[in-house]
Amino acid sequence: MKIFITDGSSDAFFTAVFYAFAERDCLITSDDKVQLSFDSEVVRIDPENDKCQRVINGIEKYDRLAEEEILLVLRSCDPLNEQTALEYIRKIMQTKAPVRKMLGLPEVIEFNDLLYKVRGETHRMKGFLRFMESRDGALYAPFSPDNDITDLLMAHFAERMKAERFVIHDVKRKIAGMYDGREWIMARVGEAEVYLSEYERAFENLWKKYYKAVNIESRPHIKQMKGYMPVRYWKFLPEKRD
Amino acid sequence: MIDEEKLEILTESAKYDVSCSSSGSRRANKNGGLGNGSAGGICHSFTPDGRCISLLKILMSNECIYDCEYCPNRRSADVRRARLTPDEICGLVINFYRRNYIEGLFLSSAVFESPDKTMELLTETVNKLRKVYNFNGYIHLKGIPHADGALVMKAAKLADRMSYNVELPSEKSLKLLAPQKTKNSLLLPMKGLKDAIEYDKANRVRKGNVLPAGQTTQMIIGASPESDGQILKLTEALYRNMNLKRVYYSSYVPVVKSAKLPDTGAGLLREHRLYQADWLIRYYGFDVSEICAEDENLSLDYDPKCAWALRNMHLFPVEINSAPLEMLLRVPGIGAKSAYRITEARKFSQLDFDNLAKMRIVLKRAKHFITCKGKFYGSDSFAQVKTSLLIAGAGEMDEQLSMFSNQSTALSALTGEI
Repeated sequence: MKIFITDGSSDAFFTAVFYAFAERDCLITSDDKVQLSFDSEVVRIDPENDKCQRVINGIEKYDRLAEEEILLVLRSCDPLNEQTALEYIRKIMQTKAPVRKMLGLPEVIEFNDLLYKVRGETHRMKGFLRFMESRDGALYAPFSPDNDITDLLMAHFAERMKAERFVIHDVKRKIAGMYDGREWIMARVGEAEVYLSEYERAFENLWKKYYKAVNIESRPHIKQMKGYMPVRYWKFLPEKRD
Repeated sequence: MIDEEKLEILTESAKYDVSCSSSGSRRANKNGGLGNGSAGGICHSFTPDGRCISLLKILMSNECIYDCEYCPNRRSADVRRARLTPDEICGLVINFYRRNYIEGLFLSSAVFESPDKTMELLTETVNKLRKVYNFNGYIHLKGIPHADGALVMKAAKLADRMSYNVELPSEKSLKLLAPQKTKNSLLLPMKGLKDAIEYDKANRVRKGNVLPAGQTTQMIIGASPESDGQILKLTEALYRNMNLKRVYYSSYVPVVKSAKLPDTGAGLLREHRLYQADWLIRYYGFDVSEICAEDENLSLDYDPKCAWALRNMHLFPVEINSAPLEMLLRVPGIGAKSAYRITEARKFSQLDFDNLAKMRIVLKRAKHFITCKGKFYGSDSFAQVKTSLLIAGAGEMDEQLSMFSNQSTALSALTGEI
């Protein structure tokens, strides 16, 4: 069986899909540590523009919304996300029509599940991201999302806080989005040093006070709180950190 | 910066208001300002009582000239008092919003000095936020009964949503427990705002239109003797006549001792059942009369849809592959999104029981009411169906506030989308 290993970029993925179409049985992954069986043949894939574009055009011909969905699924932290996307594309090409509502097909259900998770986390982080103000007035938000969604959040916050300068830092993937009040870019950032403004602690304390006061103590429902706001996100929330 | 104690007092006083949703407004971020509306709403945190924090929910003041029986801030109560200035509130909102703590402001107030004076200061706050601080985030403003109509209209042009709380489900109870709030002082402004919203819609007013996220209201359950049937009748009338987006129910919590009030709270399960019934009215095509007779209460053992199905067993089972959407919506255990997904999926292939399970449709309850390709997987014995629905519903006490029974709708619960 052929195993196509990509560099994780979407262009390399679509190029790999091009080659995968000639194979009956194959695997696409960006995971270097993939388990190899004795009969597997490893092929490293570099992005090839023409092949990538041909695949995208082919998909678009039958389903104009699929490319955006696939790009979202490629951000998933699921180790099999590329493979799931490949199976989904195969179904579209076989059916020659959109398949997203064919919920009798396991390929579609698996794809939709990953899509739902990426979209869900993006939505959640629009709420759970926390900025702190630095000495020069810029805002800094570290976080560690399950999926690679930082640039999706950049678009949201750049629209929302047009006149601010801010940085959103995915500390796990070591990447950050930076907005200077006009446009935003993505960059590789390992560690960031931030000097907080003199008011930062005071506002954080006010927020903690508010959080405590707005709770109705006679009606505890911890399970629901954790269901909506998973514990793994807490370390970046001032109201839950300690 | 405001001091912590003031914030604490004014939050404690506001927290029993249930509404915190930030949905329904697409307000754009204009002129390089701060904030915009998110149509689906965004929750920013969750408190240990399981509720979401979307808005900064505070009172401007808890100094009240009225003496409502049920209210912890009534004039005769011996509590700490505080008041914030419009600028103090604006500063807090802006600083919380920049840090992404909140989606906007939910501002209410006790009535100090006079209803007009209170409304005037509330309106001034909202006006400042919009015009001086250039804030385009979500604002929910509480209407003050008996306040001048022109002031209310000015506020409505600046806020995203307003609400007048009907507080109690009948005029009689209102007279007994909140005598200064009359039926007219609540319903007339509500009607005025509804007319203004409809006028803007009819005339396609796009700029500065009134209350893009509409109106809501809230009533306290269990402080007065009304039955669930009466409450739901009133709810239905409010949805129909006032075009409200939501009616919130708040189960009575005895924070105040009074001879006119019960000593115990109404319990969260009753509140939960009312919300379930409310959903059935708005999204599932049910009439109140089908769910609950006027002088009756909802069953605490079964959710209202199960209870209805048990009374109408002759309509079941329905075939998943051919039943119309309206009927799928009435199958216990199948939610609105599941029903819609079934109608979509069955266009491509006949669905069997396995397919439904893979689509994550919860079949614990539903299996007694459906057939898949003619096959029935439930029980033939009515007694057994009843017991298994009871068992299926037993876990509800754990998730009683969640209002949603399956994973696929959990996201909309999260966003407070309506």
